[in-house]
Amino acid sequence: MNTRYSDNRPLPLRILELLGKILILGTAGIFTAFPFIWMIVSSLKTKADILNTSVFFPPDPQWSNITSILFDSPIPKYIFNSAWVSLVIVALQIISGAMLAYALVFLKFRGNKLLFGIVMGTYMLPVAATYIPSYIILADWHMLDSFKGLIISSTVSIFGIFLLRQGFMQIPKGLVEAARMDGASHWRALWEIVCPMTKSSFITFGLMNFISTYNNYMWPSLITKTSNYFLVSQGLRAFFIRDGAYGTEWALVMAASAVVVVPLLILFAFTQKWFINGIGGETGIKG
Amino acid sequence: MAEIILKNITKEYENGFQAVKHIDLEIKDNEFVILVGPSGCGKSTTLRMIAGLEDISEGDLYLDGVRINDVSPQNRDIAMVFQNYALYPHMTVYQNIAYSLRIKKVPKDEIDRRVKEVASSLGLTDLLDRKPGQLSGGQKQRVAMGRAIIRHPKAFLMDEPLSNLDAKLRGQMRVEIADLYQRLNTTFIYVTHDQTEAMTLGTKIVVMRDGEIQQTDNPTNLFNYPANKFVAGFIGTPTMNFFDAEVVEENGQVWLKTKDGKIRATEEKAAKLREGNWIGKAVTGGIRPEHTVFCSEEEAAFKGEVSVFELLGSNAIIYVQCGDERIVLNTDDTVHQEHGKSVYMKVKESRLHIFDPETERTITN
Repeated sequence: MNTRYSDNRPLPLRILELLGKILILGTAGIFTAFPFIWMIVSSLKTKADILNTSVFFPPDPQWSNITSILFDSPIPKYIFNSAWVSLVIVALQIISGAMLAYALVFLKFRGNKLLFGIVMGTYMLPVAATYIPSYIILADWHMLDSFKGLIISSTVSIFGIFLLRQGFMQIPKGLVEAARMDGASHWRALWEIVCPMTKSSFITFGLMNFISTYNNYMWPSLITKTSNYFLVSQGLRAFFIRDGAYGTEWALVMAASAVVVVPLLILFAFTQKWFINGIGGETGIKG
Repeated sequence: MAEIILKNITKEYENGFQAVKHIDLEIKDNEFVILVGPSGCGKSTTLRMIAGLEDISEGDLYLDGVRINDVSPQNRDIAMVFQNYALYPHMTVYQNIAYSLRIKKVPKDEIDRRVKEVASSLGLTDLLDRKPGQLSGGQKQRVAMGRAIIRHPKAFLMDEPLSNLDAKLRGQMRVEIADLYQRLNTTFIYVTHDQTEAMTLGTKIVVMRDGEIQQTDNPTNLFNYPANKFVAGFIGTPTMNFFDAEVVEENGQVWLKTKDGKIRATEEKAAKLREGNWIGKAVTGGIRPEHTVFCSEEEAAFKGEVSVFELLGSNAIIYVQCGDERIVLNTDDTVHQEHGKSVYMKVKESRLHIFDPETERTITN
């Protein structure tokens, strides 16, 4: 039996409740997934079928859409750009975020609370408000239109600092003190004691920021002009309006979009367990 | 090998609260020093300053003649056992014990040899592959000690290491720590609020109150010659009886006049009282329960009614209510005393302690 507790209500009532649940959750699920499914389905249609709303599934799947995106378009290059730039950014964000969160939680210094207040204050700031100063700084450093500029401008994640700080606060301070007494530097205590105990926070942080950097459109499109430096979102848009073909190659645009999402789906499938744990505030410490 | 000297050490927090006030303490090599006192007396803060886990606000801390105020804990070569053990939950017992050696980059085979040696001396050999979550309180305690021992540190610091154990295990571990001290021949600094631990383990006891050292001495002297009323009351169970008295001199003999009678001061004590000009003045008397005995009405210094009789086996504790004072007797006469029975008590004169009622300092022991 898979029931958690015995249910004494009459059978029809229980079936009714089950159907109700299926109906509500199913509808919500379909609404959420529909655009995605539509995209996948459309990626296999011909241009004409896409505009024909009476046919949902492609009568004759056009696999050539996918192959032409994979082999005859710049999309794989954009995916590669996005993937490695996001990876470097997330690595830097994890290092800087973990160090700051460690200092906020485990070190005693004057202005600790003030520092955290300022950090959180910047989180409240609309991202767009930082575009102009960031742009000017990058221009001064001659880093516009380069991977360097893309990476340098995203080395710190306020969200990540907050997430890690919350995770670190679950760890008894005595553990870090014990490590210090054992001869560990703060750096070792962070990576050998604190990090393994807050693994799910780190994975959540890494995954969420990887996805948002991978998909980021606005900021990269402001600072990069050369297609060599495009990330996927920007690349997709460039592909979309290529050769003045605005909105004419729908099938290829859908195929490109579908291909772009695949790496993220694979990543999510592998880290799902930790991801959910991290969001739920579970840090892997028991008793 | 370690000599630790605290000179005028003060710990003041940002809000101005002074947890430790200008303390001086000299800890010689191979001493087992106990910091003891009620909660909030600054004993743990003092230990944590020696460890390097708390900044020192004022004063100097020397380890083997070198000032170490600004040396970080990782470089002090001092090991510490924490109250809640602080074992790394994601590491096995083996990894927990080996961690400090791994940091020091000791060769793998030597780490292995030393971990196994320590584990066998602490009875942990079968538990090396377990994680701390699978251990009992006593086992965790042993792992925490193993982690400290393996380093051969200059000194061991222990912050109430037994307070999370049940009474029986605590007694057992106390013996193990005493045994460890004999074997290791190193300096131990041990914080506790339990005076039994203090008396049984320490070669030197430092009694603290409100951030100040009240007295530093060996257990015997601390028990027999307390420096003030606080130390007299803190050391010894049941605690010392205190009573109000007046010093009088009759026919060349000095007496302490109590509410119900009088106690003769020995020659030595009389000399101290005369010297301090205490004749005719009020003082606080102190006598330990084991130095208080029943007597006839004529000899009595106190009279009262038995309120509680506690039989402990070979001895008995009797609580006697004398007006608004309570006198406790610790006697090996285990004949049951009825509640409400009128009794008379006298004290062993040579064991009488006399305190200044204002400053609470000892006038004579």
